[in-house]
Amino acid sequence: MLVGLFIPCYINQLYPQVGKATLELLEKLNVEVVYPSGQTCCGQPMANSGYEYESLGTCTNFVEKFKEFDYIVTPSGSCAYHVKKHYDILPESEEVTKVRNNIYELCDFLVNVLKVKNVGARFPYKVGIHKSCHGLRGLRLGSCSEKVTETYSYIGELLNEVTDVEIIELTRPDECCGFGGTFAVTEEAISVKMGKDRVQDHLDNGAEVITATDTSCLMHLEGLVTRNKQPLKIRHIAEILNSIE
Amino acid sequence: MNSRENILSRIAANKPDLLELPKVNPDVFIDGKNIIDEFTKKVEIAGGNLFEVVSNEDLISQVITMFPEAKINFSTLKGTESFNTLSVDANKAPQDFEDLDILILESNLGVAENGAVWLPDNNMPMRVLPFIAKHLVIALKKEAIVTFMHQGYQKLASEGTDFGVFISGPSKTADIEQSLVIGAHGALSLSVFLM
Amino acid sequence: MSHSKAASIFNKDEKKVNWHDKALWFVRHKRDKSTHTVAGWEELRNLGHGIKAHTLSNLDTYLIQFEENALKNGIQVHWAADGDEHNRIVHSILKEHHAKKVVKSKSMLTEECHLNPFLEADGIEVIDTDLGERIVQLAKEPPSHIVLPAIHKTKEEVDELFQEHLGTKPCDGDPQYLTGEARKHLREKFIQADAAITGVNFAIADTGGIVVCTNEGNADMGAHIAPVHIACMGVEKLIPKQEHLGVFLRLLARSATGQHITTYSSHFKKPREGAKMHIVIVDNGRTEQLSRPDFRASLHCIRCGACMNTCPIYRRSGGHSYDATIPGPIGSILSPGKDLKKHSSLPFASTLCGSCSDVCPVKIDIHAQLYKWRQIITKETPQPFVKKTSMKMMGNIFSKPMQFNKVGGIARWSLRNLPKGVINSKPNVWGKGRDLPIGPKESFDTWYKNRKKDE
Repeated sequence: MLVGLFIPCYINQLYPQVGKATLELLEKLNVEVVYPSGQTCCGQPMANSGYEYESLGTCTNFVEKFKEFDYIVTPSGSCAYHVKKHYDILPESEEVTKVRNNIYELCDFLVNVLKVKNVGARFPYKVGIHKSCHGLRGLRLGSCSEKVTETYSYIGELLNEVTDVEIIELTRPDECCGFGGTFAVTEEAISVKMGKDRVQDHLDNGAEVITATDTSCLMHLEGLVTRNKQPLKIRHIAEILNSIE
Repeated sequence: MNSRENILSRIAANKPDLLELPKVNPDVFIDGKNIIDEFTKKVEIAGGNLFEVVSNEDLISQVITMFPEAKINFSTLKGTESFNTLSVDANKAPQDFEDLDILILESNLGVAENGAVWLPDNNMPMRVLPFIAKHLVIALKKEAIVTFMHQGYQKLASEGTDFGVFISGPSKTADIEQSLVIGAHGALSLSVFLM
Repeated sequence: MSHSKAASIFNKDEKKVNWHDKALWFVRHKRDKSTHTVAGWEELRNLGHGIKAHTLSNLDTYLIQFEENALKNGIQVHWAADGDEHNRIVHSILKEHHAKKVVKSKSMLTEECHLNPFLEADGIEVIDTDLGERIVQLAKEPPSHIVLPAIHKTKEEVDELFQEHLGTKPCDGDPQYLTGEARKHLREKFIQADAAITGVNFAIADTGGIVVCTNEGNADMGAHIAPVHIACMGVEKLIPKQEHLGVFLRLLARSATGQHITTYSSHFKKPREGAKMHIVIVDNGRTEQLSRPDFRASLHCIRCGACMNTCPIYRRSGGHSYDATIPGPIGSILSPGKDLKKHSSLPFASTLCGSCSDVCPVKIDIHAQLYKWRQIITKETPQPFVKKTSMKMMGNIFSKPMQFNKVGGIARWSLRNLPKGVINSKPNVWGKGRDLPIGPKESFDTWYKNRKKDE
């Protein structure tokens, strides 16, 4: 099994530690993993802004770089969802279909492909899980509060096995943080307000750390926490799972 | 082309290919709940009161105790004529019942999942009555309660009602700051008497 | 005004935003509590979706069947191609009956057609009888929500309005007292009404009957007292058979308010003795929406308002920020179909979080349709130069890995080295309320390549 590691554009440039943690974690679990050079972005920033057609080159590059792998793993539910859901703008080919079928968000890959839950991590903090929307309602990485189904959460199941971690319950278990790509800028007032409310929910319930499957949500929440000098740390789930504190 | 033809032809041109009509299988909703308990609970959740009685006379005497100040009363139950203080006949206008205090009607169908009772207009001498009366009282036989709306409509399929209403609880509103207030335009209270 | 502008104005009063958000979240929470006790809820949603999809695929036949049965039942049926024709039909029915005083129960369709001002221009008094609608009518505002029209008003505001218009005593916004006074005021209107107008929740093809759902009983108080009842419906209100009400009445109230059914679900089939009943069937853009494969499922909507209650943006921007008859997520996929330019900001008033689609009782893929409208809007309406060029640039950079690395390097350097004041200066909207990350020295890409070299 050869895994291609996709490190989304903003993680690559702004949060390399999330990429490192993902890679190290996969290697620890004896996965043969390669980071194909020349990868950039999944195309989502343009597409969600209504410029799908400007993302064609980006998507083509993505398929080109990842078509050889058995699995594509990425520390982002949002990007994985975008490739799965919206790569219908590319002419349908065997390669495109393969890439769309084989891309996995990290937690999904651990729980459902590797079938591991305990990755041997230790993280002695009270952690609140922010359930990033595209992973949750797009990829169904967990049960959604709107739907009447059995309860489950891949990120929760993994975190639950981490030594000394305490998972805190939120008042609103899966409300959006308000990032939303260019929404964060075009609807600045609402975006900031949504983020503030998410942060407050974590604080009210005693979280010391907020984690999520998506760095984009976390970048937004971190921006608020830093600006407002709030006592919260922000960690991507890969960083926690790779942690031996 | 008039608007009717215009609309119909546009639909014919714009609609997708015929899609199958799904079959409703009520069995998938079976939840094993006790039907009378569930009905009782749902009537109360909807803001109604529920009592058990053995006879029409029993029902009337309880109603009289419940509403000692009521002056204008009307019931369609058999053997309760002495309770009535007015008659409902064709000469009267709906407005004439504005001061009706208590109305007692019979229902032949109750639905456990939501506490609703069905009132067809052949069970009431005038359509406005259950809405204009201050206090609505319903007599319902336990055997007339079904589990879900699906079974309710199965029962209604053979009835050719000109007007009918499912009523669940008294009239209510929460339009001012989401505060529930009982008694908007219709009945101020609803009491269901199970027999 | 664009949605974002209206939303930022609404957000100037954070306390009010919190209050509005909590009021609607409370409704969403009640919805969860009641739906989670229904075994087979998801199957019920599938049925709701399937029945509506089927009905639309055979809508002309069902409308003809409905009309035929309604006529047999002694109801007069009228057809209106647009809002203007709808208004003229209603007006002429009222004229024919010399009706001067009209009571109206909730109907989003008559809002959409602007019926009230049309009738009022001819001296006809139209009283909205749903309490929430009466409140906004007195305030001369449109409803801000389709189920809770006055959800944006505090009880103190209602108190003041009623003092001014109904002569009530000051009461610190006591809902019990205010509702009681409204009851008295509207009871008089019901008794005196010459005609009643209602909306339609469901129209049943095989019986020719209609169903109207209310909690207050206002539709029935109007329709059973006035000598004329006019029911106005969009073409999409049809369902094939009466038994299908079993599905929709189970879905509707639970999704809307968390009730297991509305207090009154009234089934009108024939006019009462001595009274007249009319049904006006309206298109007003619906058949055009039917022609759009990506968007026709928006016509499944049963107007429960659940997508508004769940929408984190709606809750924090208020219904009026959408400047459309139907606000919120469902409105944002319906409105562009009517006027793409006017409503072009609405599909962007979303993070595409998908909560609306999951809460929808008839499984409309609302967030997927928002995404699709965005693709159309950027092509068919004028876009800001900056947005257009930056998207093109971004598309270019991401297609060429070398450029991506170069631009990424510059961005990281700037974030690391420029003073905060420069980074957060005005053109950076992000920085108004949030910090940007500190740019790391090394990208993942560089780190990985160096690590490989070291191996």
